[in-house]
Amino acid sequence: MTRYIARRLVLTIPVLLLVSIIVFSLINLIPGDPALIMAGPEAGKEAVEALRIQMGLNRPVAVRYLIWLNHLLHGDLGKSVKDGQPVLNILLLKLPVTVELAAVAILISWLIAIPAGVLAAWRRRSVIDYAATTVALAGISIPNFWLGIMLIYFFAVNLRWLPASGYVEPWIDLSRNIKLMIMPAIVLGTALAALVMRLLRSSMLEVMGTEFIRTAHAKGLSDRLVLLKHALKNAMIPVATVMGLQLGGLLGGAVITETIFTVPGIGRLAVESILTRDYPMVQGVVLCSAVAIVFVNFSVDILYSVIDPRIRLVEDKA
Amino acid sequence: MATREERLSLAHRPTPAQTVGLRYFLHRYARNRLALVGLWIVTLVIISAALAPIIAPADPAKPDFVNLLQPPTRAHPLGTDDLGRDELSRIIYGARTSLQAGIISVGLALCVGLPLGLISGYFRGQLDNFLMRFTDALLSFPFLVLALAIAAVLGTGLGKAMIAIGIVFTPGFIRLSRAQVLSERERAYVEAARALGAADARIMLRHILPNSLSPVLVQASLSMAVAITFEATLSFLGLGTQPPTPSWGSMLNIAQAYLGTAPGLALWPGLAIFVTVLSLNLVGDGLREVLDPRLR
Amino acid sequence: MKRMFLAVALTVVLVGGLASAQTARRGGQLRAGLDADPPNLDPHQSTAAVDRQVFQSLFDKLVDLSQDLQIVPMLALSWTISSDAKTYIFKLRPNVVFHDGTPFNAEAVKFNFERMLDPTVAGFPSPRRSEVNLVQKVTVVDPLTVQIDLEKPYSPFLAALSDRAGMMVSPTAARRLGRGFSLEPVGTGPYKFVEKRPQDRVVLERFDRHWDKNAGYVDRITFRPFPDEQARVANLRSGEIDIINIVPATEVAALKTDARLKLLERGGLGYQGIYINVSAPPFNNRALRQAFNATIDRVTLARVVFGDTVTPANGPFPKGVLGYDSGPNSRIPERNLDLARAKLREAGQPNGFTFTLKTGTGRIEQQVAQVLQSMAGEAGIKINIEILEFGTLLSQLDAHRYEAGRLGWSGRPDPDGNIYGFFVTGGGLNNSAYANPQVDTLLDAARILNTADLRRRAYADVLNVLNEDLPYVFLWWPKEYKAFTPKLQGFVHNSDGMLRLRTVWLSP
Repeated sequence: MTRYIARRLVLTIPVLLLVSIIVFSLINLIPGDPALIMAGPEAGKEAVEALRIQMGLNRPVAVRYLIWLNHLLHGDLGKSVKDGQPVLNILLLKLPVTVELAAVAILISWLIAIPAGVLAAWRRRSVIDYAATTVALAGISIPNFWLGIMLIYFFAVNLRWLPASGYVEPWIDLSRNIKLMIMPAIVLGTALAALVMRLLRSSMLEVMGTEFIRTAHAKGLSDRLVLLKHALKNAMIPVATVMGLQLGGLLGGAVITETIFTVPGIGRLAVESILTRDYPMVQGVVLCSAVAIVFVNFSVDILYSVIDPRIRLVEDKA
Repeated sequence: MATREERLSLAHRPTPAQTVGLRYFLHRYARNRLALVGLWIVTLVIISAALAPIIAPADPAKPDFVNLLQPPTRAHPLGTDDLGRDELSRIIYGARTSLQAGIISVGLALCVGLPLGLISGYFRGQLDNFLMRFTDALLSFPFLVLALAIAAVLGTGLGKAMIAIGIVFTPGFIRLSRAQVLSERERAYVEAARALGAADARIMLRHILPNSLSPVLVQASLSMAVAITFEATLSFLGLGTQPPTPSWGSMLNIAQAYLGTAPGLALWPGLAIFVTVLSLNLVGDGLREVLDPRLR
Repeated sequence: MKRMFLAVALTVVLVGGLASAQTARRGGQLRAGLDADPPNLDPHQSTAAVDRQVFQSLFDKLVDLSQDLQIVPMLALSWTISSDAKTYIFKLRPNVVFHDGTPFNAEAVKFNFERMLDPTVAGFPSPRRSEVNLVQKVTVVDPLTVQIDLEKPYSPFLAALSDRAGMMVSPTAARRLGRGFSLEPVGTGPYKFVEKRPQDRVVLERFDRHWDKNAGYVDRITFRPFPDEQARVANLRSGEIDIINIVPATEVAALKTDARLKLLERGGLGYQGIYINVSAPPFNNRALRQAFNATIDRVTLARVVFGDTVTPANGPFPKGVLGYDSGPNSRIPERNLDLARAKLREAGQPNGFTFTLKTGTGRIEQQVAQVLQSMAGEAGIKINIEILEFGTLLSQLDAHRYEAGRLGWSGRPDPDGNIYGFFVTGGGLNNSAYANPQVDTLLDAARILNTADLRRRAYADVLNVLNEDLPYVFLWWPKEYKAFTPKLQGFVHNSDGMLRLRTVWLSP
């Protein structure tokens, strides 16, 4: 086991290094002079030049990368060029908001996707199955920003049931927080629900066809018990293995959702820092989301190998 | 979107030698009603994009400063937009932008990803190792966030947005074609060709490539759906297509300001994206169902 | 008797009415919605316009700007200007303290000027430098008297001191924090800094030791950024915020008739239009500039894009600013396609020409560019639109790497701030690369002239030249709108668009 974890770690480190190189080179290719942007339209040439030196922009790229990496390893993600606050602090400040939004979205999507996926697999090729798969396909296809605009139009502009946008912390005003969270969470959760439902359905079908379920049937266990206790449990494994993918989708969705509903989370931070060319901030957001995904994938692989030791053996031989 | 489960399932598909020709393929595809509907709609979108100058009732870029934000009339079946332009014509011309974005960005990813995957899987070694870590790294970024960041680097414009989207899709195609090569290169016919002294390039192009194409086709049609959504998203955020070229995404961006006065402006472009993307997904799913035996 | 009673009753009603309208109530929290997140809360580092909204409550200025754009006392109680217009002596307000307890006096004023002028004092080069770089010497005459000597006469000096350059920061805090002062700003204003959460909120709290007992009624002010204009209005409507600083044009009509909200309108100080690079083809040919200008219908542009919430413009001075009635400034030319074609023939391009218009992101920018594109197209002038992110647009305009560029100016109360740097040869904002010795002489003269009438005449001469040369095509003057809940009382709406919240109170 330890050997397997070590092997996976060895594979992860170069990936993380490459991630950091990609993030760094990406930002350093952005057109426009960051010093000029930071100094603003009314600053004199000398102020811009001084700033350029202070930001280290006069050094070669490779040196800047190594300095940046060194700071990174010491937990220093740099400072926002916009207001000089440490990037890490801002990220930590925004994180709870996005986590709340994502948690509600995941909750909503699982509440819909799991029963729908189980039903669709159980009653394969029935009306329920076709309806569920079609709705899921629609859920994957609908552009989330359009869904958001339409929800705002119907529920905020027309019916005035819900506030159009904004955010209040739950500990300040819980009921308002919930009202504000409903629409963004639905928008963010739609694609996820569709993805989970499709995955669950196909993995349920696979599990239901395997030997041990048939054995369970033969032992006289009732349909429902088999379905829930054995099939669902095993079918959830593939759903869990693509957590990294789901996380990526959630973060991408958060970018749009938080922008439309002006929720002050990581996603809106990403868009705003991209639009205002806040280099260190963009680096911080992109890097952290990639690292989070690498970490989740890593943990899922380890967990998976605990559940199913065969994986480990196969990989060790390879 | 090279998802893990897709790669697993695709690895088990039979080689075309085992299936029985094009007619059988079409027959099987046509049995899936939804996939057929999807194919019809996609065809319709392609035709209207191609024939836009003939079909569209008006010049999509011609403003009419007297008739702003008009509701649907006989002259303007979907009304007019913020500058008095005919909304229907803009939707029709918008199909051009969307299809361009879908085809070119996925084409780009294919042109780069397929050869790299082939070479990587065929020769293995250090290059393969590096490429795999590199794709691992690229696949660790949330696709949309990466596309946004690259679009910001390259600057605004449809061409640049397509490049950004293409880059994001490339690692998926590298991984997919590599996986194909890995399973193909051990097969008897490759061994035979090698024994007969065929050159590596010939083996790759004549034998492995044709036999690897069908999963790539499925992947391409599904990626195209995502690419169209991404183009719309980038344009919606102002990082994509530039005016006065109509793009469904930038039309939605403008429409947000007129939700109270002209909600139709937000309805039509969104519906157009939705229907196009849905149809492409139906086609992709239909293809997959035919090509993947496990779903039969 | 009866009549007397009536008179008494009337008096009671009147006085009572006045009293209830004037009795400012203390307490409560005010939530203001801004158009962007204020990036930097140090007035000596700040470059974003939105920062100034927060500064109005956090800092006092040496002088302030009244509603009719006159310079009025604030931290300086009075001032005298020498006859050669080079020496200013300010008498300072006594008993003023900074939020950290540091006394405000002549030494503090001296320190503030040094911080703006000398990078070694501040630890950074201040963007304020260009506004006060004519200051040669600051002398402490006595604790409440300070003398400022200028290198040469500079009539917009006081106007500059009514903005960021006149905001006094605590020397103690500034010395201790350096650049970090922006994260813990300390001023003398009626509100002190509590916290700033990036892209979320800036919180200020009443400062009890402020010198003005008729300021700071509200206990707490929270500024929240809403970059999306629809969201800003939606949050005002739903009661999430009490006042917003920039009202989108598409919402003005609806807000005017909304009984649950109040909308105030005034002329603004700035202008919007198009920079033209006169140093490179095609626009190094003046006739082509004139041809393009003749295709523009400014009235239609204002109606189509802004629903008449802006005023068509032909010069840098909006109504209310000295110079408004100078020369062609407020004479809006009519669209003239015949003239445009004649000018094209004169330039030897009878079939028109093509140029690229660089512009910023956002709905309004796209609409403006497309309207101009369509108008010019009718004369055979083809415009390619290139949308750039704001910072990129600025740097390309600064480097003269463009043909035409859509960029305006937020405006200053003194006319010099709206014209000098833009058209003087080599000026810091002269992105057109325009050079005309006659204009230079006139602009320099207007800086020294000390009567309004003489300045107005000098500007009229400048504008007559600019109107022919067209290094910049003026298009519209934005109007200033503020929308707020009727509960908010005592707000003084000024053309500079600043949220002066020190006089504001909330009715129950």
